[in-house]
Amino acid sequence: MLQMRKEEDYRISQTMKLGQLCYKLAGRESKKPCVVVDVVDDNFVIIDGQVKRRRCNVRHLEPTSRILDVKKGDSKDKIISLLEKEGFNINLSKPRQKKERLAKKRKIKKSKPKDDEQRRPTKKVSGNSDSNATR
Amino acid sequence: MPRGKHKSRSLRRVHVKTYKNGTKISYRIRKPSPAKCANCKIILKGISRMIQSKFRNLSKSEKKPSRMYGGLLCSKCARRKIIESVRQ
Repeated sequence: MLQMRKEEDYRISQTMKLGQLCYKLAGRESKKPCVVVDVVDDNFVIIDGQVKRRRCNVRHLEPTSRILDVKKGDSKDKIISLLEKEGFNINLSKPRQKKERLAKKRKIKKSKPKDDEQRRPTKKVSGNSDSNATR
Repeated sequence: MPRGKHKSRSLRRVHVKTYKNGTKISYRIRKPSPAKCANCKIILKGISRMIQSKFRNLSKSEKKPSRMYGGLLCSKCARRKIIESVRQ
């Protein structure tokens, strides 16, 4: 069985420093490396790295012994480059680009030839037409 | 008397009201057993308990938690496992 973290570990983790390399434990970004960018409180820090830049509880982080050179207000690109130097392969998903959809072409029905006379040859009426006209 | 295939208890029995003769027994498929943690055998939360045909039509977030080891380990065991792998 795995051992639970002791209370001493929590006390150590509460003293977070700027640029401390951590791993996230909770949520969809668990087991992903991150760096402490700002210390808000004894309980909360702001993290960035292979995760979204956000406020995070200290109890949801597992700190490591490594501390990176990070200043307040550093951009995400710089932090990722620092992580890559440490040996992490970071593949951030980019937002999907919109593609221009081509408008569908309407199918135009081919107009039928109007020469119906060729298809249906009219019956030649012999004699009667002349008789109707006279009436 | 029930039919031969309905004598076994693999299907559950539901008493259904009928128009004429009071009640009638209908035979339906049982629910599957709930998913359990592979480490501590506790019942997992966040996983809907449905038969496969209805489970298939659910959304991705309803099927299992999006956490690492989601649907396999409970949150406590997953956290311990991550800590163990990171410390090594």
